Amino acid sequence: MSGTDWEGFAFQGIGTDWEISTPLPLTAALRESLLDRIEGFDAAWSRFRADSLVAAMARAPGRYRFPEEAAALGPLYSTLYGLTGGAMTPLIGGSLERLGYDPAYSLRPAGPPLPAPAWESVLSWSGTSLTASEPVVLDIGAAGKGLLVDLLAAELEGAGAGSFIIDASGDLLVRGPDPVSVALEHPYNPAQAIGVVELAGRALCASAANRRAWGDGLHHVLDGTTGQPVRTAVATWALADTAVLADALATALFFVPGGTLEDEFEFSWLTVFSDGSAAYSAAFEGTLFA
Amino acid sequence: MRPSTRTSPSVPASPPAAGGALRRTLYAGIAGLSLAGTVAGCAPSAAEAPPATNGAAGNSSAAASGGSTALAGSGGSYKDGTYSADGNYVSPNGTETVGVQLTLAAGKVTDVQITQHPSNPNTRKFQGEFAGGIAAQVVGKNLDELNVSKVAGSSLTSGGFNQAVGKIKSEAQ
Repeated sequence: MSGTDWEGFAFQGIGTDWEISTPLPLTAALRESLLDRIEGFDAAWSRFRADSLVAAMARAPGRYRFPEEAAALGPLYSTLYGLTGGAMTPLIGGSLERLGYDPAYSLRPAGPPLPAPAWESVLSWSGTSLTASEPVVLDIGAAGKGLLVDLLAAELEGAGAGSFIIDASGDLLVRGPDPVSVALEHPYNPAQAIGVVELAGRALCASAANRRAWGDGLHHVLDGTTGQPVRTAVATWALADTAVLADALATALFFVPGGTLEDEFEFSWLTVFSDGSAAYSAAFEGTLFA
Repeated sequence: MRPSTRTSPSVPASPPAAGGALRRTLYAGIAGLSLAGTVAGCAPSAAEAPPATNGAAGNSSAAASGGSTALAGSGGSYKDGTYSADGNYVSPNGTETVGVQLTLAAGKVTDVQITQHPSNPNTRKFQGEFAGGIAAQVVGKNLDELNVSKVAGSSLTSGGFNQAVGKIKSEAQ
């Protein structure tokens, strides 16, 4: 198993902890270029810094030129926007701010929940050029971390690194010939796993709803209007060739059944529901503990 | 998202009413909820809690598990009562809120409740046939019993939880 005795390069980026593991230590120059890449990404896409492109777009409508990664992100979001009936949208930033998830982290709702504006009426996303007809708060959180994983992977590969693990706080990309054993975090108990995946040459990303008590034998959350247990997705995993795809699809699994997404995307998936049951595609066969 | 179920911070509130029907509150089995376990680590239950030492340093045993969630780790003293606060965070549904309610007695956490804020109804129904499988019940195993080098999961909630707890700390002081 690779990864256990590798060299780790740990750092913080876009508000989370990262670790890149390689068989040999990264050079100082390569570390520098990785951190520069993160800074460039943050400077464009962060909703939380006043000097970002996203912040400028929130202040004034107009045409903005984003970094080259925007060219792949736009079509991905567009497809998922359609598949989820508008539920998964890069224009969710205003809704988040309304609920208190704003740059100041006020955590105080500023009013009733605010639906995101309809994409087609406020935003044109053409390649790397984004044109807003009114101030909009872009938030690419559903795919951004995976996107940055891929960008860092490109930096590493450009520098000749063939084997590495990028761990972006639980979103993982493994390159190289050897598989890495990855535990699937229990949705309600981070000290436990519900299964193990041998990850090789691909990305595995997870999404989770708010953790709720589950406990021994599972608590069932009852819907007061029906008296029935609520069955909602609480944790998802997606396996794909790129991290941006795995990240985005892990989120999309909360809105659309995996089987439907499989019609559009080459990926594998696992969804765990609030009643403790799980559904998965063939690649996750045998990975869950019984 | 149903706004009616969101708890706005109310400090201090009365102790949780038994059998309150309106809020869908889950009574955390502490062992099954690691985040809460971090908070409650210093006080397994009210009955087992050691005598209160109201001095600042006396309560700091919770710092061992490393959480910024460990109330007692900061060296302050806190007023008794039940406190609740919400943390919002970027989520798969776009917006998620985790409600955290802590009961403090003699400077220790004696009860933790995590309140469910219902997710988008779009996520409720998953139907249809597909290649793959279904597990009736997932089974957890302790990570330290497994030979793995990485964990794939979501750290989203811990941020929201920590934020809410941080707010409670400042309001309880």
